[in-house]
Amino acid sequence: MDFTKLSEFVPYFLPAAWMTLKITTLGILIGLFIGFPMAFGRLSTRKWLSLPSKGYIALIRGTPLLLQLFVVYYGLVRLVALAPLPSAALALGVHNGAYIAEIIRGAIQSINRGQMEAARSLGMTHMQAMSRVIIPQAMLRALPPLGNQFIIALKDSSLASTVTVRELVLTSRQLASSNYMMMEMLAIAAVFYLILTGLLTLLVNHWETKMSVSRA
Amino acid sequence: MMIQIKDLHKSFGQLHVLRGVSLNVEEGEVVVIIGASGSGKSTLLRCINFLEESDSGEIFVEGNHVHHTERDINMVRREVGMVFQHFNLFPHMTVLENVIEGPTQVKKMPRKKAASFAYQLLEKVGLSDKATAYPASLSGGQKQRVAIARALAMEPKIMLFDEPTSALDPELVGEVLLVMEELAREGMTMIVVTHEMWFAREAADRVIFMDEGVFLESGTPERMFTEPAEERTKEFLSKILASPNT
Repeated sequence: MDFTKLSEFVPYFLPAAWMTLKITTLGILIGLFIGFPMAFGRLSTRKWLSLPSKGYIALIRGTPLLLQLFVVYYGLVRLVALAPLPSAALALGVHNGAYIAEIIRGAIQSINRGQMEAARSLGMTHMQAMSRVIIPQAMLRALPPLGNQFIIALKDSSLASTVTVRELVLTSRQLASSNYMMMEMLAIAAVFYLILTGLLTLLVNHWETKMSVSRA
Repeated sequence: MMIQIKDLHKSFGQLHVLRGVSLNVEEGEVVVIIGASGSGKSTLLRCINFLEESDSGEIFVEGNHVHHTERDINMVRREVGMVFQHFNLFPHMTVLENVIEGPTQVKKMPRKKAASFAYQLLEKVGLSDKATAYPASLSGGQKQRVAIARALAMEPKIMLFDEPTSALDPELVGEVLLVMEELAREGMTMIVVTHEMWFAREAADRVIFMDEGVFLESGTPERMFTEPAEERTKEFLSKILASPNT
């Protein structure tokens, strides 16, 4: 591999990396937006709240992301024609929502029952106990698996290449088809992924230490 | 009458844990409930502040019938402080924050006022120097004393203690019992589930022996410890008093 020659291609990858970051960020935000209410729905004792959540989680976790992406991009066309970027972000968001819901639910359930009892015994309402006592502790526990999920989301954003979003993978394939350097282009994309996942890991680690530093 | 319990029943599935328990506690009275594990002592305490829902029976606090409604239950919980076997301090809050959480959130007391009251309470349990510490850095005995201060911060009329020293190392039991004894001397109405016979002897007005979901016998600590009427009580006491921890 001629590295000086390869560096010429890097500028082509910068907008692609930016696109990957955009899909991922939007996907995670949509995922959090869906995941939180779904987690609480799943935990509810009321059937009309818990059943839809359970159904959503089962449906999303039981089918491939690629299929979900095609459903949004090709399948929904008769209802609403979404551009490639919003399609990819929406599919990634809906997909991650299910996993985030399960992470949050697990974290909330992992908090000792005595915490809720102590809060309620002081006269706090269920809502107060949740927001003041349970959720702050649950969030700390949810952070590592959430960080993990965010990294998966970043890598899963590569599937957006199948619906013509010019992110890292599609860009490397398009460049290779004109310069016949498939291996090299894929390697550049890989380096960009490593940088992005590395940065994301640092960010999550930073949050973790920031949140836990006070109670050491 | 501070608290009145009439014919309380509670089952967990097939297990009939409370089989018709009735109890009257006067203002300022200290009642100690003893009995083997599984006899229903803890369940009784937990039914009083509705951490468990009883199947039947009635509870009156200061003459008011407590209904199974969110509103009534929250009212009772404000009046009734609870201290748990495993402390259940909030680990993400400092000692001070633990103590002011109830007053500021439930009573909407201004933070400053709550904090100065909290310092008084921490002083009383001997932990004012730990106000800014997190629970993780405290010993079990200190945690339980914070938990007592946290419950007292709501200015309850009754305090329930659910085996408050059972999870403690033996050398830390004394400091918690001393705080409880002082509280009893100040006239706090208390219902205490414990195996600490020393505390029962020193502080209790009445000792109740509970067995298989009913009150088998009750009396002053002197009578209960020297001349128990029931065979089961004798048996239980001889076992407890023979153990090295008491």
